[in-house]
Amino acid sequence: MNTAIWLIRREFWENRAIWMIPAVIGAIMTLAALFGRIDLMSMPSQMPSRAVGEAFLVAVGATFFAIMSIYSTWYLLDCLYADRKDRSVLFWKSMPISDTTTVLAKLVTALLVIPVVYFAAADLATLLMAFIISVRASSSIGGSVWHFDLWLQMQVLWIYLIMTAAIWYLPVAGYLLVVSAWAKRAVMLWSILPPLALILAERWFFATHVIFNELANRLLSLPRVAFHTDLGDKFWGPSVVDNGVIRTPASLWSLLDAYGFFSSPETWAGAGVGITLIVCAVQLRTRRTEI
Amino acid sequence: MPALIEARDLTKRYGAHVALDRASFTVEAGRIVGLIGPNGAGKTSALRAILGLTAYEGQLRVLGREPFRKRSELMHDACFIADVAVLPGWLRVDRAIDFVAGVHPRFRRDRAAALLAKTQITGKRRMRELSKGMKTQVHLALTMAIDAKLLVLDEPTLGLDILARSAFYDALVNDYMDETRTILITTHQVEEIENLLTDVLFIDKGRIVLDSSLEDIATRYAAVAVAADRIDAARAEGPFYERRMLGKVVLYYEHPNLAKLAGLGEVHVPSIADLFVAKLSGGAE
Repeated sequence: MNTAIWLIRREFWENRAIWMIPAVIGAIMTLAALFGRIDLMSMPSQMPSRAVGEAFLVAVGATFFAIMSIYSTWYLLDCLYADRKDRSVLFWKSMPISDTTTVLAKLVTALLVIPVVYFAAADLATLLMAFIISVRASSSIGGSVWHFDLWLQMQVLWIYLIMTAAIWYLPVAGYLLVVSAWAKRAVMLWSILPPLALILAERWFFATHVIFNELANRLLSLPRVAFHTDLGDKFWGPSVVDNGVIRTPASLWSLLDAYGFFSSPETWAGAGVGITLIVCAVQLRTRRTEI
Repeated sequence: MPALIEARDLTKRYGAHVALDRASFTVEAGRIVGLIGPNGAGKTSALRAILGLTAYEGQLRVLGREPFRKRSELMHDACFIADVAVLPGWLRVDRAIDFVAGVHPRFRRDRAAALLAKTQITGKRRMRELSKGMKTQVHLALTMAIDAKLLVLDEPTLGLDILARSAFYDALVNDYMDETRTILITTHQVEEIENLLTDVLFIDKGRIVLDSSLEDIATRYAAVAVAADRIDAARAEGPFYERRMLGKVVLYYEHPNLAKLAGLGEVHVPSIADLFVAKLSGGAE
């Protein structure tokens, strides 16, 4: 356990971008709140204060989450490759740490630690922005960013999203780790080429799109599996116009579909593939020390 | 007590290339063993196999363990510097010490600090800011602060100047080495480590060509420098190698008849470096 903490601490030393990128995004958002034109945020007057508050929280959160997804992907692709490239793998392997522990520490960093850092940064940025907006703006908009229950819902939404994404994207993470442990150069290219070749080969020989559909489904379907899609519009934009009346969901919590996610065979089939790929990545890490 | 390292028919292939060809050797506890061979002889492959960094064929036991399958366990009792300048550029010196202290139960922080205090290196510097020699000094300080039974060093002093090299070997023999430790070391500078070794392993083309203690070498090998007119008599004694030097010819013998050789010229025990040249060149004939 102690070893795992040191390994994760090491990832922070090596990849300062883990905290620098969210810090920069937060700083930009705060500056935008300080100097931006807040009246642009004034929405149609009949829009309820809660809907504005929700839109604000979801927009900030979604921005952080999207950038975090891109960074985590890059991190996974680079982490095992970087050790071989600078040959520091020969130093790390002189420590009494198994390759399984090393690979799992990197996986946990990508799927849990980095998301939690972004989550904390998103919270901090929202707080700062809400404070600045409520000082600068007129009372109506200013008040709409302070709904305590919405804040609480946002926390639960983040935690739920981090947990479900960690399981859902296990096969993607496993695949990226395999490429990172295996490739001699150009990890980015090697991560794209095999699936692309498979898709083209399938199309050429069988004129079908099974692989493409499976990959697209894995990359894009987390919202469908983990959330109530019949309320999908309200997830992406918390308000919909229905017969001229503006409705908002009673609570962001009503969007969560934990039962649907954890009972879906897609979830566990993907996790199985993911674990297999992670075992492969550990094997490659054990065998490959040269670039 | 079984040998510390026991290799039988150790073989390593890279595709069609055979880097280690059924090499068999043992290393006993408490020795300082030099693994000596020309470039591409299989030194690095042998060290990597011993340290569990690579898969291999044949039998290998290090500290009673199978290194490739039990590397992380082995690293509790063994430590190594397998190459120069492998500390990552982003790592700060003080954090390197923190990290090893955090994950290695046998690391002695005070010893690492004492070793580093003798250098010009300060804790806040990153490895990428250090010269090659300084990086080596940091790595040596980290490694020598580990209370390990086996220390493996592959070209440990590459990049160090003469003063730092001699300081390192002094520290190795005087401060680090005791009867509980074993050191396996490779270097190109055979002369430099000759007087600290207790044993040598000569390796050539993936095979062990000599596995001997230095005492045994002294009784088993002899060289004699003879004048040109006595060369036929000297050749009759069956040397395995000869070379010309300053108008004389030096002939090398295994299991020599010392009484006869003494009549031909000046007999001496060949140095490790000379024996290495003789053994490898002689084997080629």
